[in-house]
Amino acid sequence: MTTIVYILLAAGLVFFGGTTLAAFYWAAKTGQFRNLEDGSKSIFDEDEPVGTATDAFADKQADRPLRRGAVAN
Amino acid sequence: MSATLTEAHPSTVTPEMEKAQRAMIDESTRLPVVLFYASAVFWLLVGTVFALLASFKMNAPTFLDQWGWLTFGRVRPAHLNAVAYGWAASAGIGTGLWLMARLCRTPLRHSKLLIGAAVFWNIGILLGILGILAGDGRSIEWLEFPNYASFMLFVAFGLIAVWAIIMFRFRQPGHVYVSQWYLLAAFLWFPWLYSTANLLLNFQPIQGGAQGAVNWWYGHNALGLWFTPLGLATAYYLIPKVLGRPIHSYYLSILGFWSLALFYSWNGMHHLIGGPFPAWLISASVVASVMMFIPVITTAINHHMTVRGNFQALKWSPTLRFTVFGAMCYTLASLQGIFMAVPSLNVVTHFTHYTVGHAHLGLYAFFTMIMFGAMYYILPRVVGWEWPSVRLIRWHFWLVAIGIGMMVVVLTLGGILQGLALLDPNITFMASLDYTKPWLFLRSISGVLLTAGHIVFAVSFTLLLLKAGSLRTEPTLFGSDQGRQPEPLNV
Repeated sequence: MTTIVYILLAAGLVFFGGTTLAAFYWAAKTGQFRNLEDGSKSIFDEDEPVGTATDAFADKQADRPLRRGAVAN
Repeated sequence: MSATLTEAHPSTVTPEMEKAQRAMIDESTRLPVVLFYASAVFWLLVGTVFALLASFKMNAPTFLDQWGWLTFGRVRPAHLNAVAYGWAASAGIGTGLWLMARLCRTPLRHSKLLIGAAVFWNIGILLGILGILAGDGRSIEWLEFPNYASFMLFVAFGLIAVWAIIMFRFRQPGHVYVSQWYLLAAFLWFPWLYSTANLLLNFQPIQGGAQGAVNWWYGHNALGLWFTPLGLATAYYLIPKVLGRPIHSYYLSILGFWSLALFYSWNGMHHLIGGPFPAWLISASVVASVMMFIPVITTAINHHMTVRGNFQALKWSPTLRFTVFGAMCYTLASLQGIFMAVPSLNVVTHFTHYTVGHAHLGLYAFFTMIMFGAMYYILPRVVGWEWPSVRLIRWHFWLVAIGIGMMVVVLTLGGILQGLALLDPNITFMASLDYTKPWLFLRSISGVLLTAGHIVFAVSFTLLLLKAGSLRTEPTLFGSDQGRQPEPLNV
């Protein structure tokens, strides 16, 4: 039983250490560390562009498709 | 979609299409997110009751001591586990699920995996807390749950990890935003941390002092590699998104993530300074703790500089007010933690209420406040209904902000006095306890404020889920009940 636990622990160390290193290598290779300016803007889109606050001036909230069923008063 | 709009955007993706897609993604997360959020609020209330009981017992040790299951030794771990796993982790998972779907730019897949995880999760926490109250708890801080409960939690963590991998595999092509790195780290590393610690401490316990090392390797990583990435992922998404302004320095945010990944897992041994452990183990940990300066400062600079020039936004946006409060407290808690790892300061603060204050600064003022902010942003988008009352949100904010501020201050001051008294050979141990009494009384008062805030939040949350009142078409902002309009932003 103890041996199985130690094997599990060693395998876990190798696997999780390995995947983290692999993730770092993958990120560098696929250009995740390049064009950081564009990366920071990846959470914005044409509908919620840079310069438009959400939560605050979200005046178009009412006609979101998900509210179609709701009855406006 | 009109032809003119299509021509105006060479990519042929119109704002309408993007809005519809975003709404569809938000809606796809509804059931799992609401399940985890509702469980979180339920366990927050349960954990708060245990917190109040434990706090009152500090003032009146005989209070409710006629029942074994309500003695301090059981109520206190019941509080810790109810708020850490029941509230904080559930809220973090709910937020993480929504963020994963948004950042993968794809509707949530395999929600059955997550619903299964939520069921295992809640049964695990219920069994764990009942187990602790019944006297089954283990005397290992952060891992008090008996084996039958921790196994259920592990299954839930495992299901969520598998789900996260599937979501990432089927994401829309494009940049992997910094929040997603944090989320993947949290979802993939934590099941491993949790299972390793449980294997070595509960299922096949190792011997002697090494148990302490494993205990704090886990205890500190639960904060640093689970709660911290979940909280920071949320802040790195919500602050730019609410303000409509990209993060100040994206380079620093990436540096922050990878330096956190490198240094944090070494930190745990600073809990054992002065203990019977090899000196190199403690020294390496103290060095790594000080190196945490890098991820902490990069995050602090980024959050501050992104909000700078727009602090007036905190006046009207509930999401931003809670999130920025939390982000600032992340910096405070982390810097405080670094200093507490320095042995000459640790000698005063160790074994005192100062440490308890630090824990609340981290898990409440930082993490919990960010989770409240996230809920204020996410729930209306997921449920399709706005928060029913500005007044309730305002009461919630001020009750918990003043409550947690007061708690951290009194525990810090009381803890320093207690620590100095403990070090003074002329003061007896009993006398050093007397020094803490007035501070513990004030701490109970701050606990009452927090309790009131949680009840207000639970009422607000329930009203929203019941879709009480009339449909609101405007977001619920501070001041909107007084007819005030938010000022424009500087972007």
